[in-house]
Amino acid sequence: MQKIVVPGEKLEDKPLRIDEAFTEDGKTYSTIMGMYDDVRKVLTPLEGLWYPRPGDDTVGVVQEDKFNVYIIDLNSPYRGLIFAKDCNEDLMAGDIIEAEVKELDKTKTVILARPRKLIGGKILYVRPSKIPRLLGKSNTMLRQITQLTQTSATVGLNGLVWLKGGRIDAATEAVATVQNEAHTAGLTDRIRAMLERHR
Amino acid sequence: MSTSQDKPQLIIDGKRLDGRGPGDMRRISIEANVLKNAAGSAYIEWGNNKILAAVYGPREALPKHTSDPEKAVIKCRYQMAPFSSLEDHGRTGPNRRSTEISKVIREVFENVVIREQFPGSEISIFIEVLQADGGTRAAGVTVAAVALATSGIPMIDIPYGVSVGKIGDQIVIDLNKIEDNYSDADVPIAIGARDGKILLLQMDGDMTNAEIAKGIRMAQEAGSVISKLQTDALRGPYLKISEKYDADDPSVPK
Repeated sequence: MQKIVVPGEKLEDKPLRIDEAFTEDGKTYSTIMGMYDDVRKVLTPLEGLWYPRPGDDTVGVVQEDKFNVYIIDLNSPYRGLIFAKDCNEDLMAGDIIEAEVKELDKTKTVILARPRKLIGGKILYVRPSKIPRLLGKSNTMLRQITQLTQTSATVGLNGLVWLKGGRIDAATEAVATVQNEAHTAGLTDRIRAMLERHR
Repeated sequence: MSTSQDKPQLIIDGKRLDGRGPGDMRRISIEANVLKNAAGSAYIEWGNNKILAAVYGPREALPKHTSDPEKAVIKCRYQMAPFSSLEDHGRTGPNRRSTEISKVIREVFENVVIREQFPGSEISIFIEVLQADGGTRAAGVTVAAVALATSGIPMIDIPYGVSVGKIGDQIVIDLNKIEDNYSDADVPIAIGARDGKILLLQMDGDMTNAEIAKGIRMAQEAGSVISKLQTDALRGPYLKISEKYDADDPSVPK
């Protein structure tokens, strides 16, 4: 049974290691708003931030082009860096890029690698906690949206979504619906119905 | 507290000026996520108080010397709108009173936000008082806590605020503007809902130890009501969307 929990709400009477939760006096409490599944013992964030991990795909905007490093705005508390040696694209301030998190340094600066320039299209800001739902299990939701609207999409786990081509308005609407209704069941079917209806 | 000679009688036949008993609070309604561009926001109507809170961040702390390399810094701005009260709050910008209130509210949230996850960043809390009728700092804490929870910033608790005071020999809760000005004491309190820790306690006037203890007990009793309103405001929008769909066949709207 899933229930909506708020920060400081008790999840379990015993200390358990759960993501986005903390233990005190032998009990486990939530630190965020989320859906708690008390069978699987999983807390899924409803409102949350992006915590970068190596291997995460991100979408960012080039902020500054310095001598041997590019500074990337990732729309998060962390600053992104791409060293020129890891970069085979010619980047300029203002370019939209897709890149992978290579590592995090001690000051939590995100070091990115393998950038790819994204030309044209548009960027949507989605709450990072809704991105897993936008991707779906093994990317089913995203594949469905891109196939039905003929749009090419790149999703960054940091909350930036890049869309281009096809029925971009329908895809934008679908992304917005996923964001608003991420906590409900049966969303994939509803999105398919929505996109087929507008076709 | 005012030391006016023509002090009005604040309790007549056991009733306060607005008809409440000593332990009655004003009507409170809270709405979460009211602003689109903020990371988190909330709006509260607490009697005649109308307060808007917005949270931005975590983002890079600027100017750089304010940042802490080990944890996030919290910046709080409490401000009364020029049109918020009958008295002169006409000039914008910080004044002595708002600087103090910003500081005490900041310290409330420094104790509940898990700041170690965001070194070098800042979390900004803006509390805008649109209409004031006493007890705005307590209401400000209450609404800012909801705004922080909607922003997804990890917290160990949702604090609430409420004020207690002394009128004659009566201990009363949730003072309004006139009571605040002419009461014998006014004590704003903020308490963490989960662990009951007192995060803010200021006193203007004189109260004995026993009176303070009674006031804190009254605040804790009121707190269970306020916390319920806060959590309902947070859960409400999600439950409303869930209700649109059938639990058995969620693929079609009801």
